[in-house]
Amino acid sequence: MTLYTHILTQILISVVSVAGVFVLTGMTGMFSLGQAAFMAIGAYTSGILVTKLSAPIYLAWPAGVVLAVAVGFIVGLPTVRLRRDYISLVTLGFGEAITALLNRTTALTGGASGLTGIPKVTTLWSALVSAVLVITLISLFKNSKYGRQCIAVRSDELAAKSMGINVPKVKMIAFLISVAVTAYGGCLYAFYTAYVDPSLFGWKKSAEWVIMVFFGGVNSLTGSVLSTFVLSGLPEVLRFLQNYRAIIYAVLVLLIINFKPAGLLGEWELTPRNLRRIIARGRRVQQPKGVN
Amino acid sequence: MKKVLSLILMLAMLTSVTAALAEGETINVGCLQDISGPTSSLGNMATAGVQWAVDEINAAGGVNGKMINLIVYDTKADVTEAINAYTRAVTSDNVSAIVGPPIANIALAIAPESENNDVQILGFAIDSKCQIKPDGTPYKNMFDFQPSAAQQATIMAKYALKNGFSKFGVIYNEGNAYSVSLQAPFIDTVTANGGEVAKVVTYTSNDKDFKTLLQPIVSADVDAVFVPNYTQELILIAQQIRALGYEGSLICGLDACPPFNTLFGEDCDGIYFINNIDGTEANVQAMLAAVKEKTGIDATNKFFLGYDVANILKGIFETVGTNPVGVRNAAEQVTNYAGLTGNITIDPATHMPKGLEMVMFTYQGTTPVMLERYSAE
Amino acid sequence: MQILQYVINGIALGSVYALISTGFSLIFNVLKFSNFSHGALMTFSAFTGYFVAAANGWGLVPTILAAAATGSLVALAGEFVAFRRILIRNTSPIYFFVSSITLGTLFEGIVVLQVGANFYNYPRFFGKPLKLAGLVISQSDIIIFCISAFVLVVLALVIQKTRLGRALRSVSFDRDTASLMGIDVTRSIQFAFIISGALAGLAGVFLGINYTLYPTLGSLVVKGFIASVIGGLGSLPGAVIGAMLLGIVETTLISTIGSGYAPVFTFLIMLVFLLVRPRGIAGSNIQEKA
Repeated sequence: MTLYTHILTQILISVVSVAGVFVLTGMTGMFSLGQAAFMAIGAYTSGILVTKLSAPIYLAWPAGVVLAVAVGFIVGLPTVRLRRDYISLVTLGFGEAITALLNRTTALTGGASGLTGIPKVTTLWSALVSAVLVITLISLFKNSKYGRQCIAVRSDELAAKSMGINVPKVKMIAFLISVAVTAYGGCLYAFYTAYVDPSLFGWKKSAEWVIMVFFGGVNSLTGSVLSTFVLSGLPEVLRFLQNYRAIIYAVLVLLIINFKPAGLLGEWELTPRNLRRIIARGRRVQQPKGVN
Repeated sequence: MKKVLSLILMLAMLTSVTAALAEGETINVGCLQDISGPTSSLGNMATAGVQWAVDEINAAGGVNGKMINLIVYDTKADVTEAINAYTRAVTSDNVSAIVGPPIANIALAIAPESENNDVQILGFAIDSKCQIKPDGTPYKNMFDFQPSAAQQATIMAKYALKNGFSKFGVIYNEGNAYSVSLQAPFIDTVTANGGEVAKVVTYTSNDKDFKTLLQPIVSADVDAVFVPNYTQELILIAQQIRALGYEGSLICGLDACPPFNTLFGEDCDGIYFINNIDGTEANVQAMLAAVKEKTGIDATNKFFLGYDVANILKGIFETVGTNPVGVRNAAEQVTNYAGLTGNITIDPATHMPKGLEMVMFTYQGTTPVMLERYSAE
Repeated sequence: MQILQYVINGIALGSVYALISTGFSLIFNVLKFSNFSHGALMTFSAFTGYFVAAANGWGLVPTILAAAATGSLVALAGEFVAFRRILIRNTSPIYFFVSSITLGTLFEGIVVLQVGANFYNYPRFFGKPLKLAGLVISQSDIIIFCISAFVLVVLALVIQKTRLGRALRSVSFDRDTASLMGIDVTRSIQFAFIISGALAGLAGVFLGINYTLYPTLGSLVVKGFIASVIGGLGSLPGAVIGAMLLGIVETTLISTIGSGYAPVFTFLIMLVFLLVRPRGIAGSNIQEKA
């Protein structure tokens, strides 16, 4: 039981971060290879505030998110104006720079040995509540004016511009929302594992999240959440395969990307209306049987 | 193609499951190691040693008639994976003890988690922070079975000073906890005993071109350079510092142990290193040959560490059974266990070995030459 | 003198980066995506080269040939497994990217299976470094530089002068039009992957010689990525110049501010550079269309 609680908590924390990436990559079409670095900022800031300055958690976590957003704003200023290929490069460089800083400032961060002594406060329930809140907020954002603009920018930037959409502004908003959400995921993470080190936040982590978004369906938040469950849970389910795990994982993702390029769910969202439709369809299938 | 692959995997799955079922009454022991990832060589080697010991134990009738079932968990050199694996081992697989990794970051991540239960982790993380809490008391379940970073660094520093080196350069990887944990005590010991550290250079795991970094050390005209880095980086550093025309000595940690000499590609004269094992001892040599013959692996010190710990564990199980608290008390009381990696006595206050000797070596050409046994005290 | 030495070190580093970045750039040129499986492919072919040739005592040339052949074949297989369907569907290049990272994981997984506990290193192919008026130049650097230069010149000639090369250029310019003009698009793309795979094999062997063999050797692909973007995505001369520049900037930074803060400054330089010259050094103006 404890094992499942543990895995579920970790998956829910990942759901928070992946939801952040969904806003950026899924909705706006921007590729960040440095998203994990924002998670690091959230995790380290809150962790350091609590362990070194014994700040209360209700101050430390928001501080982590705010700092990440502030840094995100500075990084975003030039980035949103660049071509899309360059966004991944700039964020990659940013991620490396953050890792370097974390390794360098040993007195504060513990350097390569990592930051220890963070209290364990995240539970299954707080992770669950966080995930539900974040998902709700993001689905509200997706259906808002800005959300629709994001999707327009992703589909065709030129067309969006000619329709009068302020493209850099929309990109910036999406970027900052995703940074805030990812940083919050970092706080949750640090206060769950009680230990963080700089190697956790490399570009591979960011790429993993992007894969999760695509696996689930670029345009579907429900898909992203579902695929986070599948792809984070899978390595645990397959643990007995040992060295073959990575191979199975890769083959599975390749199959989906190649044979179902819209991802698991494509554009489909779990909305109340769609839910009613499923139930209705289920009844329709059952009814003839009932008549006979 | 994919069907064939999945079929093979299914079969592999099935055999492993049936094999597990067939074992009957067993003692589950976890082996938590980096099987993949950048430090996979270390993890695989330690696992091979543990496996070797377990095979021997089971072939000889097991522990009080019970077979040991070794379950290997891959941490992928990733903290999150490691915690997942650890949780699975203690909650779902009900292991009686875990052989831990030689990697500090993994041990550091598991340490706070391990406080919640009583399963013992007998590992090789030399950074004392892995065993000792910030308040100075030991984590109740974390053990280290090789000399600590401070002890290893002190041994190297004292040996170097005793042999007439006085002016040192240091190059270490600031992105690697192992490297970081060795350099500070080395520098402290050297300066406390009248030596001089002329130049300290750091690099990060992304660096591959060391010539530029090493130039200042070479220019500082030092007697010896302390190089506490993983084997692959060590090879590069040693090659490049020689290429720069440096002819002085290199003081290295465990990473310069064989097979460093075969990988280096030239004569290794002037390279000094410590080892847990003495490759000139007859029983160590016999083991090396047997392992090579059966598995094709050139066993290194991590293999022997794993082997010794598995045997210590067997002794503990035999005397106190598998009750975790009993195992802990017994692990704290390990005294003068004569293993292949030395006479191990655990200090209950630090959960690390006390006065464990290491062997100082150098190379003549590519042949290791044993110099002397050394303890930090 | 010291500065000259740093420049030499930088060029040596840059020539290895150049091999990575050109293989990278070639695929970007044709399919407009960053092929992150390139790194794992380098590792894969470097290890194959080791097991097939070097471990049997064969020399440098057979090792390179074995690795390059492996690289080509595996790249071709990779194209079929991971990219062909996306290409036919003509979906967004982002899918290529996701597919390529996953393909890289697959290659790396296979390497890990094979490698296990042992350490590997190529035998010494080269002798002692040369010393010239206070400068130290290692033979391996010189030979790697020469082979890289030679291969890249041949590549440039092939792309500029041959039928296949022209076809490749037209495919990378506009796939649909090229197809209408009777060019076999699939074959051109396969050709690009074969060349890029051979470059990956070559780069893998050189990385192995310079930096020893280990399963995560391919993570150096990031350097190739940075170099090819700085150079102007898709431009082969740009990729080479970008790689050299990156090599020299890195060694300069290391010698002045040390290795620790170097990534921070690399990031800042990159940022400024992209703002001043967003097309890269030699980049053609690829139109921004999703």
